[in-house]
Amino acid sequence: MIQVQGLTKLYGEFRAVDDVSFTVQPGEVLGLVGPNGAGKTTSLRCLAGIIPPSGGVLRICGHDLVKDPVSAKRHLAFFPDEPRLFDYLTVWQHLTFVARIYQVVGYEPLAEQLLEELELGGRKNALPGELSRGMKQKLAIACGLLHSPKVIYFDEPLTGLDPIGIRRMKDSILQRARGGAAIVISSHLLHLVEEICSHILILQNGRKVADGTLEEIRRKFSEEQADANLEEVFFRATASPPPLPADVAKPGRGG
Amino acid sequence: MFSALFYLQYHSVKNRTVSRLKRLKQPKYLAGAIVGGLYFSYYFVRPFMMPGQGVQALPVARLPGDPEWVELIAATALAVITLAAWVLPNRRTVLAFTEAEVAFLFPAPISRRGLIHYKLVRSQAAILFTVLLLTLITHRWGGRAWIQMAGWWLMLSTLNLHLLGASFARTMLLDRGISNWQRRVGVLGAVGLVLVAAVWWVRQALPPLTAPDFADLERVKSYVSSVANSTPAIVLLFPFRLVVGPYLAGDALGFLRALPGAMGVLLAHYAWVVKSNVAFEEASAEASRKLAEKVAAIRSGNWQAAGGKAKAGRSPFHLSPAGPAPTAFFWKNLISANRGITFRTWVIIAAVVLGVAVGMGNIGGGRTLPVVAGAIAAMLAVWSVLLGTQIVRQDFRQDLDYLDVLKLFPVAPWQVAFGQLLAPAVILTGVQWLLLAVAAVLVPQTPNFPWRWPAVLSAALSLAMVLPALNFISLVIPNAAVLLFPAWLQAGKEGPQGIETTGQRLIAFLGQFLAFLVALIPAALAFGAVFFLARLAAVWWVATPLAALAATAVLAIEAAFGIYWLGWLFQRFDISSELNP
Repeated sequence: MIQVQGLTKLYGEFRAVDDVSFTVQPGEVLGLVGPNGAGKTTSLRCLAGIIPPSGGVLRICGHDLVKDPVSAKRHLAFFPDEPRLFDYLTVWQHLTFVARIYQVVGYEPLAEQLLEELELGGRKNALPGELSRGMKQKLAIACGLLHSPKVIYFDEPLTGLDPIGIRRMKDSILQRARGGAAIVISSHLLHLVEEICSHILILQNGRKVADGTLEEIRRKFSEEQADANLEEVFFRATASPPPLPADVAKPGRGG
Repeated sequence: MFSALFYLQYHSVKNRTVSRLKRLKQPKYLAGAIVGGLYFSYYFVRPFMMPGQGVQALPVARLPGDPEWVELIAATALAVITLAAWVLPNRRTVLAFTEAEVAFLFPAPISRRGLIHYKLVRSQAAILFTVLLLTLITHRWGGRAWIQMAGWWLMLSTLNLHLLGASFARTMLLDRGISNWQRRVGVLGAVGLVLVAAVWWVRQALPPLTAPDFADLERVKSYVSSVANSTPAIVLLFPFRLVVGPYLAGDALGFLRALPGAMGVLLAHYAWVVKSNVAFEEASAEASRKLAEKVAAIRSGNWQAAGGKAKAGRSPFHLSPAGPAPTAFFWKNLISANRGITFRTWVIIAAVVLGVAVGMGNIGGGRTLPVVAGAIAAMLAVWSVLLGTQIVRQDFRQDLDYLDVLKLFPVAPWQVAFGQLLAPAVILTGVQWLLLAVAAVLVPQTPNFPWRWPAVLSAALSLAMVLPALNFISLVIPNAAVLLFPAWLQAGKEGPQGIETTGQRLIAFLGQFLAFLVALIPAALAFGAVFFLARLAAVWWVATPLAALAATAVLAIEAAFGIYWLGWLFQRFDISSELNP
């Protein structure tokens, strides 16, 4: 579903993402973790087609994101940490606009259903400025899910949500995965990643440090501690300088 | 305590200045500073330093010579502003603090009076800058600079204190359960009573104007002058005359004579404001949050969001989910442009304007009004071609903050570019066609106008043909500039201001203008060639539309290439590299 080979992103001489490879299959939830500046958000923005990669091959549902971006983007949705909404469009106008862009014929019942599920049914004519942060996030989610994407990216999905919102967001992510979507979540909240992700990818200084199921990662870094949690694994994985790409390519799942 | 506040103020100004100076190391800011400095010095400082040099004011713009009238008008204007401060606002006292000031100063052990003093001192920076600017502008009409500076300072400082004092009073009334409408009725009732009494007094003292008197301007002026010098007007306008007195003093002696009165009013206002004990913190904290949002909106180029509470715009037409993607961008940007104005409203406005123009045209007979209206319409049409794109900005310039969202969409880049330009192009073309129609109806009313109707129609039709493509080209240029040099036109969240930014805008505008002229050359050549050939077989008013058609074709091809190029720029635009230079 998501195939990434040798993803590289340069800013001048600086390598923000350096030769990262992985795959995410339908139904899998990949947790992208790493310290600040590890290249998580840059990777996600490259994977979403927002910024052009400097190198590598990115395939979304079989479509090359660089060579055929339109076909690839039809299948994906990206939810940034801050909901990005047009100030001048109402809730319903956002959905109408997105329906036309993604050619979602007969979108009205689905849009109504999404708004009801997300408790926005009564705010159809509200502008984003009249919504709370949580409501804005819900509207961004409604817009992103309207075209039933097969690939979904979340950047810090729990930012600004209340406990009920957090629970619903986790359920929603797992529900989408069960429905066959390939999901990538970038987050600093390791307990969230541990709770809902089936696979982990650890980045440091733009390079892949580890990649695999939680169990595989744990085995690699736990130092004979079978019950080590992701936090302990994370510190061990990122404490030392990252191994060379050739070293990590061997145990990796996709690269 | 005051030393800490002084420290904050001093270092804020110092650091801001130093950072602006450091920024001049970047060529774009240095070039902007040089051009901006030249612009300001040519238009404002040169006439100030060397009277008689630089750009001269138009004679019609000169202030009326009679100081009595100037004083009357200035005092009345000040009275109206003062009255408005008591009638119009509906909010509690709002002292504009920044979010950082709210976070640091409100919880700190600083008295309310201390905060007011801090704000008064801070407001002086803005007042002094405004004084400088106003003096540079008004000094071009003559007078002594130092008198004007001191006069402006006294007027603006007094007004600033009065607006603050009035807001304190409004808050106190609200705290005592007197609503905004009750206050307005009370203030307007009191002012109305005073005015009725004054009118009654004047009618007793002066014979009223009769109908024939209104035809004689001198008689009307003389009557107004008598009213202004009557006891009620002298009493009512007395404090306002005191405030404007120093500014209008012709010489140093006159200034010194007027100074005590103005200073007295200023000090009375200061005492009033400082002795007020009104809780302004809550409203100020809320206002600072809104101010921060507004500033962020302006800095991100979203002026509409900054213009107060946004209103939901009605959909201009039904957008079905199937169809070309550019229509969706057109629909979205029309909503942004026409909050509450639908296509039907535009048609009604156009019909009314054209109806009025036709009505005026029927007056005919070389009357001045229709001819002037027609000339204004023609000038506006020309002006809109050159500068319309700076006003209608519902395109990439508006959505620069949303480019990452637009990039997520499964739409070909050229389609996004075309869709983004559609709304401003259609709006501009619609307005230009309307102006052209008005001009075509009215300008031929000019006495001895050489063209007959077929010629007028030919010219109007030719221009109407060329305009849409021309608008697309003129829109491609600033949008491409935004995507090529975003830091020049919207320098991230830093939001630089000052002379260097003015210079940058001037350079950008000149660049756009030059690019526009270059784009016109092939179309002009095509026009000339076809016109020359057509003239061999037809009269000029038949040849002109044919030549315009050829020019339109060339412009349309240029516009298509421009849109495709814009799409390519959009596709490769990487805001993150702009933020990580």
